[in-house]
Amino acid sequence: MSEFDAIVVGGGPAGASAAIKLAQNNMNVLLVERGDPPGSKNVSGGVLWGTGLGELSDDWEKTAPLERYLESKSVAFLTEKSKINIDFSTKNFEEQKTGYTVLRAKLDPWLVKKAREAGAMVVTGVTVDRLSKKDGKVVGVIQDGDEITADAVILAEGANPRVAIDSGLREPLKDHDVAIGVKEVIKLPEKTINERFNLRGKAGYACEYVLGFLKDGVEAGGFLYTNKDSISIGAVISMKHLRQSNQVYSFDIMEEFASHPFIAPLLEEGRVDEYSAHLVQEGGLSSIPKLYGDGYMIAGDAAGFSFSNGLVLQGMNYAISSGISAAEALVEAKQKSDFSSASLSRYQQKLEESYVMKDMRTFKGIENVTWSKMIHKTFPSMLENVMMGLFKEEGKPKKHMMQLVLDSMSSSKIKSKDMLLQGYRMLRRM
Amino acid sequence: MKIEERLSLLNYKTDKSYEHITVNPNICEECPDHFCTFACPAKCYTIIEGKLNFKYEDCVECGTCAVACSHGSVSWTNTKGGHGVKYKYG
Ligand SMILES: Cc1cc2nc3c(=O)[nH]c(=O)nc-3n(C[C@H](O)[C@H](O)[C@H](O)COP(=O)(O)OP(=O)(O)OC[C@H]3O[C@@H](n4cnc5c(N)ncnc54)[C@H](O)[C@@H]3O)c2cc1C
Ligand code: SF4
Ligand code: SF4
Repeated sequence: MSEFDAIVVGGGPAGASAAIKLAQNNMNVLLVERGDPPGSKNVSGGVLWGTGLGELSDDWEKTAPLERYLESKSVAFLTEKSKINIDFSTKNFEEQKTGYTVLRAKLDPWLVKKAREAGAMVVTGVTVDRLSKKDGKVVGVIQDGDEITADAVILAEGANPRVAIDSGLREPLKDHDVAIGVKEVIKLPEKTINERFNLRGKAGYACEYVLGFLKDGVEAGGFLYTNKDSISIGAVISMKHLRQSNQVYSFDIMEEFASHPFIAPLLEEGRVDEYSAHLVQEGGLSSIPKLYGDGYMIAGDAAGFSFSNGLVLQGMNYAISSGISAAEALVEAKQKSDFSSASLSRYQQKLEESYVMKDMRTFKGIENVTWSKMIHKTFPSMLENVMMGLFKEEGKPKKHMMQLVLDSMSSSKIKSKDMLLQGYRMLRRM
Repeated sequence: MKIEERLSLLNYKTDKSYEHITVNPNICEECPDHFCTFACPAKCYTIIEGKLNFKYEDCVECGTCAVACSHGSVSWTNTKGGHGVKYKYG
C-alpha cells in the first residue's frame, strides 16, 4: 500500500493545478514545494492568458491575485534610435477574459491555498531529491534520505527539472531548449501608470519587443507589462546567440533595454524594487520528452510546454492545463487501480485533444523564426528605413512605399525571393 | 542600475552548510570560453586574477549555468529547506 494516491513535485501553476484537481476528486495527494512560501522561487513576465483558473475555482475572478486585465496589447521593434509599434486595444479582451497580469509570489500562494482547501496535503520549503523506483516503476520520492510512497508521481518542477533530468526522464537541457529570462519590477503609483499607458480602472497594457538594437549578434525579446502599481519589464535572451557572441553579459541586456530612449520614459520616476531571473523553456515541440511512464507523468515547463512566437510568451496557461490533464488521467487510473505506462497514456491522449499539444504542433519550428537574424536585425532595420523614407522631407521627389521596401531590401542585401520565402515561412509558423 | 545594486534588493536565506552549486576548478582552469561569466544573470561567476571565482550566495537559482557550462564543470542541485532566494513579486 502506498502512503499517497499521488505525490506532486512542485507547487507552480502546473503542480498546484494538478493537486487541486486531484484533491477535488477525493484523491489523497501530497504537494511538495521547495519554496517557502510558495512562489518565492518563481518568475514569470507575466501575462496569464485565458481562463484556466476558472477550471480550478469558481471564485477566481473575485479572489485570485490578478493585477490587471489586458486591454491593450502591442508588439514593437526597437532599433538603436527608433521604435516601430503595432498597437491593439479592444474592449473584447475584458469581455472575453483574454488575459491578466500576475506576479508569481502572489499567484502561487493563492493556487497552493486552493489545493489545501480542496484537501491536499501541502509541504513547503521541502525539496524532493529524486524519484524512488522499484522494478523500473516510479513508486514515490526520496527527500532527505526518506522515501515517501505514492501510486503515481506528477513531476511539475518547472524549467530546470532536476529530478526528471537526474532520473533520465528528460534529456539534459541544451541551448536550443531554453532562453535566459531576466526581469525587474518597478514601483510606480497606480495613477501614473494609468496616465502613462492610457488606462482606466483595472485595465492593463502588455507589450512584447524585438530588441533589434543589441550588438554582437545577440538576440533577445523584451516585455513590459503593467501591474496595479508596478511595471514588470524584462528580457528573454537566446542562450545560443549569447554563447556565440561570448562577450555580452546577460544582466547588461536588462539594463540596455530599460534605458532605451523609448523605454526609459515609461519607467521614469519608478523605483526598481526587485530583480529576478529564471530559465524559460523555448524549444517548443522538439524539447518535449516522453510525458508518462510506469507511475509518473511530467507537466508544465518540466515537460517543455512553453513557447513564444514574438507576439506572446506563454507557459502558465499550458502549465495549468497540463496539470489538470495529468490529474484527470490519474483519477481514471485510480478507478482501474492501474498506474502502468499504458494506463497513464491517457494523459498524452488528453493533451492531444486539448489545446496544449495542438498548439505545440501548430507552432512546430516557431523557435527557428523567433530566434532568427531576419526577425532581430534585418526586419527592424528595414522597417526603420521604410518609415524614414516615407516621412523625411528632403526636397526630392518621393518614392512609393513599394520602392522604399525594395531599396531597403537591396541595402540589406536581401533578394525579394528570399524575403518572400522567409515571410511565408514566418506566417506559416506563427 | 548596476547588477550589484540590483542584487542588493533581494532577500536570501543563505544556507551556510550547503553549497547547492559547485564547480570543478580543474575543469575551469582549462576552460576556453568562461561562458558562465556572461550567462549568469546574478554575476555569481567572475574571473579574479585569471581564475574562475564562483559565489553561490548571490545565486537566484535560475538554472542558467547548468546549461551554459558546456564543459561539465557545474554540478547543479536545488537549494534545500527553503533556503536561497526569496522573491516578493517573482
Ligand atoms: C522572465 C519570464 C517571463 C515569462 N513570461 C510569461 C508570461 O508572460 N506568460 C506566461 O504564461 N508564461 C510566462 N513565462 C513562463 C512561465 O513562467 C512558465 O511557463 C510557468 O511558470 C511554468 O509553470 P510550472 O508550474 O510548470 O513551473 P514553475 O512555475 O517553475 O513551478 C515549478 C515549481 O516547482 C518547485 N520545485 C522545483 N523542483 C522542486 C523539487 N525538486 N522539490 C520541490 N519543489 C520543486 C519550484 O520551486 C516551483 O515552485 C515566463 C517565464 C519567465 C522566466
Ligand atoms: S564553469 Fe564551465 S564555463 Fe565556467 S569557467 Fe568553468 S568550465 Fe568554463
Ligand atoms: S543558477 Fe543562475 S543565478 Fe545561480 S549561479 Fe547558476 S546562472 Fe547564476
